Amino acid sequence: MDLRDTPKILFLTAAASMALLVILIFGFIAWTAAPVLVKTGPGFITGTVWDYDTSTYGILVFIAGTLVLTAVTMAIVIPIGILTAIYLAEWAPAPVERILRPSIELLIGIPSVVFGIFGFFVLRGYFAHTINPAIGAVLGWIPFLRDTTPGSGTGILLAATVLSVMTLPTIVALSQEAMRSVPKEFREASLALGATRWETVRHVVLPSAFPGILTSVILAMMRAAGETMAVVMLLGNLAELPGSVLGGGYAMTSKILNDIGFYMGEAEPRSALFAIALVLFIIEIGMVAIVRAASARIRGACP
Amino acid sequence: MPVISRKRRATEHFVKFLCLAAAVTGSLMLFFIVGSVFLGAIPSLTPYFLFTPESATPRIGMGILNAIVGTMILSVTATLLAVPLALGTSVYLQRYARPGRLVGTIRFFIEVLSGTPSIVIGMFGFLVFVYYMKSVTGGFSLMSGSVALSILIMPVIERAIEDAIMRVDLSLEEGSYALGATKYQTIRGITLPVAMSGILTGTILGFGRAAEESAVVILTAGYTQFMPELAVKSNPAFVFGVKVYPVQDLVASLPYAVYHAYENSNVIPLSNGFAAAFVLICVVLIINIAARVVLHLGFAGSGAPISARLRSALSMRRIDRVVEPDRSPREGAAACPFRELDLEETRHVSGPSNTQGDRRGGP
Repeated sequence: MDLRDTPKILFLTAAASMALLVILIFGFIAWTAAPVLVKTGPGFITGTVWDYDTSTYGILVFIAGTLVLTAVTMAIVIPIGILTAIYLAEWAPAPVERILRPSIELLIGIPSVVFGIFGFFVLRGYFAHTINPAIGAVLGWIPFLRDTTPGSGTGILLAATVLSVMTLPTIVALSQEAMRSVPKEFREASLALGATRWETVRHVVLPSAFPGILTSVILAMMRAAGETMAVVMLLGNLAELPGSVLGGGYAMTSKILNDIGFYMGEAEPRSALFAIALVLFIIEIGMVAIVRAASARIRGACP
Repeated sequence: MPVISRKRRATEHFVKFLCLAAAVTGSLMLFFIVGSVFLGAIPSLTPYFLFTPESATPRIGMGILNAIVGTMILSVTATLLAVPLALGTSVYLQRYARPGRLVGTIRFFIEVLSGTPSIVIGMFGFLVFVYYMKSVTGGFSLMSGSVALSILIMPVIERAIEDAIMRVDLSLEEGSYALGATKYQTIRGITLPVAMSGILTGTILGFGRAAEESAVVILTAGYTQFMPELAVKSNPAFVFGVKVYPVQDLVASLPYAVYHAYENSNVIPLSNGFAAAFVLICVVLIINIAARVVLHLGFAGSGAPISARLRSALSMRRIDRVVEPDRSPREGAAACPFRELDLEETRHVSGPSNTQGDRRGGP
């Protein structure tokens, strides 16, 4: 063997072992989850009852909790995030951008457990006494806006509000970059035709930056769906199908964190909890694949 | 002068106002969160609270020195474990690998790892390190915690280092090859030193990510009221019959201290929880700002200095300006948000500086 190849082999080993690590983690989780998945079959996804005593494991409640929570979070954060990105990319003068941008990006450094206690001890009071009653009173005739847990404060809306602050920097930073990378000539051509800034943004910048914006939204969704600490504290941990945005729910991540400590020593409950993790992992891999497809399109479009 | 109808002008102003309002709301959130945590923390931000380990206080949750020290040790160990692998991977992907299926696969796995929910990594660590490897790791321990955290932060560090290596001006490396240096000499003598500020930034970011993580730490490191201690004690439950402190011992951490304050909010005063959270925010924000400063200095200060030893090894003349401050080496590429430019594109981007590289590279 040529001695000069040694560094290359070392570097390759590092890269390969990182990839193998992921396969190892996935394999290990799948292997641990297999007994319950084989026993329960598709009922694991469609079942709504989770009971250790009768060893019935169905996670529809938790899947629904995670999905509804993520959807409400996105409904809050996408408009705010994209409008912010448009402002920063199109209108903000340099000094204003120098203040706004870092203060949004530094949000990414706030630990999720801090978001959790901030939501629980600071925001929950407002939601319990002001926001939830107000929404319930004005819009309560819409089924999914009923205040089903009056006075509690915790619930999907509170958790989604906090998660939308957590995911805001992801959307703002990546969407802004995507809008920045739209060639200047496109904008100039549109402006020269007499379009206003907003018309240019709407008809030229947003369509060209769409794959990048989509990527930012999916990354934010991944962050929201995978978040544990803040969700455990704020979602209410109510094990039923979410009926209202103001009511509680139970996310997949919360179920794992709340129960794993008690059931690690018992083979079947442990297997069931790992099966939840496996479902989360598979959802995440799917989202990564979508991001890759979108960014491949962008790479094709880059000058 | 184009004629713009009143309606179009009104829409324009309305949208601009809406965008500004969204941007201001978003950036105020940081001050709202940090401010209200700080206000809640004031009663407890005393030297006694900050510098007393919980074991020395009369009740639980009255001191956090054990958690501060524990978080530092955990994050440093995790970073030390993660950096070598991350560095090796990024050098391979940026300088050795040819674009192809293998690289695509490796990248895919790294992206999967970086998106993996932390609870999933925490569970994996719980089962493998804490449960199955109890006799080696000591169950919930510094060792389990830092290995699990290093898995979590590896993709963060890898990505930042890869970005830094990609920014290195290829004409510099060409100069090195022209002098007869091997690939490894070039990487060690030119690429890595020039990318040093980015490598440091990545390391700091990884450290911060480890310090702020809660779910993984709760599931692998556990919590103790005691300060980490240095000792080796005989213990038949362990693999060599001895338990090594602090490596195989429980370790406290700030995120867990904050979570404790939430779980035991009937016992621990609220302000103590906020104070622990405020200390954690300060640690993480300082780390994040430091990372920005290092990155900024690295590029504004015309590249990292190349050590004299390596310069003489390559018998190169002194390189003062690696990256000219007014000309980012990948200006065209910088606009592209995605980093996977292959070598050809980078070469094209750095093309115009070739003449300068030739001049500098002369004997």
